[in-house]
Amino acid sequence: MSLLTQLLHNKKALVGVTILAIITLVALFAPMLTEYSPTQRVGRPHQPPSAEHWLGTTRLGYDVFARLLYGARVSLAVGFGAGLLITVIGTVLGIIAGYKGGVVDEVITFFTNMILVIPNLPLLLVLAAFIGQATPLVIAIILGFTSWAWGVRVTRSETLSIRQRDFVKSAEMLGEPGWRIMAFEIFPNLISIVGINFIGSVIFAVITEATLEFLGLGDPNTVSWGIMLYNAQNSSALSVGAWWDLLSPCAALAVLGLGLALINFAIDEIANPRLRTGGMLARWSGLVRMGAGKL
Amino acid sequence: MAFLLRRLAFYLAAFIAAATINFFLPRLMPGDPIKMMFASAGSELSLENLNALKLTFGFIEAPLGEQYLTYLKSVFTGDLGRSIKYFPLPVTELLGRALVWTVGLVGAATVVSFTVGTFLGVMAAWRRGTLFDTIVSLTAIFSSSVPAVVVSLITLFVFGYTLGWFPNGYAADPMLDPSWSWDYISSVIYHGTLPMLTLVVVLTGGFAVTMRNNMINLLGEDYITMGRAKGLSDRAVMIWYAARNALLPTVSAFAIALGAVLGGSLVTEVVFNYPGMGNTLYQAILARDYPVIQGELLIMTAAMLAANFIVDLSYVLLDPRLKRA
Amino acid sequence: MSAPLLSIRNLSIDYVGAEANFHAVKDVSFDIGHGEFFGLAGESGCGKSTIAFAISRLLRPPAIILEGSQILLAGRDVLGLDDAALHALRWREVAMVFQSAMNSLNPVLTIESQFYDVLKTHTGMSRAAARERAAELLGLVDIPTDRLPAYPHQLSGGMRQRIVIAICLALSPKLLIMDEPTTALDVVVQREILERIHKLRQELGFSVLFITHDLALMVQVSDRIAVMLEGELVEVNEAQAIYRSPHHDYTRRLWASIPRLTGERVAQDAT
Repeated sequence: MSLLTQLLHNKKALVGVTILAIITLVALFAPMLTEYSPTQRVGRPHQPPSAEHWLGTTRLGYDVFARLLYGARVSLAVGFGAGLLITVIGTVLGIIAGYKGGVVDEVITFFTNMILVIPNLPLLLVLAAFIGQATPLVIAIILGFTSWAWGVRVTRSETLSIRQRDFVKSAEMLGEPGWRIMAFEIFPNLISIVGINFIGSVIFAVITEATLEFLGLGDPNTVSWGIMLYNAQNSSALSVGAWWDLLSPCAALAVLGLGLALINFAIDEIANPRLRTGGMLARWSGLVRMGAGKL
Repeated sequence: MAFLLRRLAFYLAAFIAAATINFFLPRLMPGDPIKMMFASAGSELSLENLNALKLTFGFIEAPLGEQYLTYLKSVFTGDLGRSIKYFPLPVTELLGRALVWTVGLVGAATVVSFTVGTFLGVMAAWRRGTLFDTIVSLTAIFSSSVPAVVVSLITLFVFGYTLGWFPNGYAADPMLDPSWSWDYISSVIYHGTLPMLTLVVVLTGGFAVTMRNNMINLLGEDYITMGRAKGLSDRAVMIWYAARNALLPTVSAFAIALGAVLGGSLVTEVVFNYPGMGNTLYQAILARDYPVIQGELLIMTAAMLAANFIVDLSYVLLDPRLKRA
Repeated sequence: MSAPLLSIRNLSIDYVGAEANFHAVKDVSFDIGHGEFFGLAGESGCGKSTIAFAISRLLRPPAIILEGSQILLAGRDVLGLDDAALHALRWREVAMVFQSAMNSLNPVLTIESQFYDVLKTHTGMSRAAARERAAELLGLVDIPTDRLPAYPHQLSGGMRQRIVIAICLALSPKLLIMDEPTTALDVVVQREILERIHKLRQELGFSVLFITHDLALMVQVSDRIAVMLEGELVEVNEAQAIYRSPHHDYTRRLWASIPRLTGERVAQDAT
């Protein structure tokens, strides 16, 4: 069964994919779902939720619901863009290190381990501080280039074991070039590791983008969930009682995180059959309770 | 022993790498790096003081290599320059004060969440497929995928603003002088509860999932079956055969997660206005106080390396295969 | 023959799947006598290990021993035991050597602790007394006592499997189950281990259930042999009889797949 069909048979994955699909649709069709622009004053400041403004207004009188819908675009774009970049770099370096071995492996592994022990968020903050106010694109790029180390580590160790398998050996004896073996023999066998790495990186990128923006390192003109948090925090939303201003992006980030985490957990179960609990254990307990047998 | 020495050498290299990033970053940015680094001081900095700062950061009339060595020399002699915002406070002193709070907060939260998470993971794996396992797994996935900033804000909103059970900021009552008195210590605990609770919520799930999956991977091993076949109690097999072995990969996963732990504490401190490293970094970024920002990277890297070394040590203690190596 | 040590009647075991069950063991019945060396043969996946695990109730979900099965050990109904009785039965009456020699000892405990935990659990022995008993048992398998504080990774595969056998003998069990105990070992070590088991069996009088897909080896060491095919027992007979005149077609094909034997039985070498 392909990874995709297996995913669709997994309840956790199904819930996760549904959440993700809803957020994506909302982001795409934002203009049809709200009459308000996310960057214009449409009401009085800090209005509580009402029929007119479903999630209230911000300190500047923007509609929170509209900003939430449009902000999903940025969170998804940065999450998936940076996630893709992180995964591509991690997978390529990991396969090369694991397959080539020798000096190449040692150099890549050395740098990977080094990046793993330099704390990531402080490093990003320092980079962002020197850059000044970072647009979502800049944030995605620096995330991509600083966060691939974990991916290299897992891809490399998996490649090391695949390299020993017969089909790789026979491809080598047939004289296939190294890049072909890496791309067509090894890579297809890494697909679930790459999947886990990708979704994990997307989660990381979404969280980190929101964090950087919350800490004031983003471009304040962006409409994104992180900037919404930043603005709400700076307008003392909590102390003046405008909880909707702060909790709306919080809830959105939590739901997106949950959806992605469910998908990740499901891929993990599919890649590693031992982790699967699935329907059989439920059926088993049922049979034992009915007295059909015992252990 | 050789293993630990090799690790130490590696950590030294990693620390130099962090210093190298610091050295090149301002020089790679467009514009005059000296102006950029010390611009926020305005005209307050006397020429003499400015020259001292320039020397510390290697801005001297010399080739790049020599500048680099000058900077490394400052770093390794413990001179990280002075804060621009709080001139003439040395960066090491400013960060030293903050470090105490962060180490306390992160240390306590890590110990609690590692213990609770590992315990939950062990129990969930042992009762795999039961309702308990499902609840623990799902809660764990959820809590570890929500950003720390979201958890902090919600905790602050619920327990700080709405219920008013805990204070909304600071590490202790500002009216009290720091001392080893019960008044002060209880105030520290009271103020630390919410940030710590946040970190525990963020971290516990990850530890639980890691431990659960490691345990489940081990449950098919022959030595576990042999432990059961020997007629040992379920508890004994679970602890001494399964959990004891699953702890090894969990500890090495923990080493990799340390960066995320530090990152989580950084945001939490900002939300709760807690005077640790994270909040200091945040204030420094707002004030574009570059010597402090750079010093943060070095001190946080050093803290990470120290924590990694502790993990290495515990690994050597836990895994008999490493003791003789 | 007096009442057998182990009597298995109508044993059926399923592996529960998400939609349907896989019938791993189908209505299997056989006996093992006191002091008998009983061989269970069949290709991998035919259910022989599942039977071995069922005897001391070591199966884990999603396996299920179906209602109507019966396992009697020395007259006791194993499937009717409660948890406490089951824990007491394990190792004291049925000990087991597992497939992978490299992996059946706990890597983080010393050899001594792995003797101690079983001795303490079953006899409440003190650490000092357990050390003495462990040294004595190691003597039975010719391993120097100074290996007691060692960890498994410091010993060779053959040594580890001999240590497992020594641990098996700690409580003088009535039945020793060996689930492909020598697959991971080289031929010389393999032979040496079986010879030792044979000798110990004569001294201590336990029965052996020997599971393997190595038929040549099985015919040499067993008194009787049972052959399994896809969960069913197709033939049971004296080793020599089943080897010389197999009744079932599958047994004949199995025999045809192994090289003709030239050596004498190990059992005869040893006596």
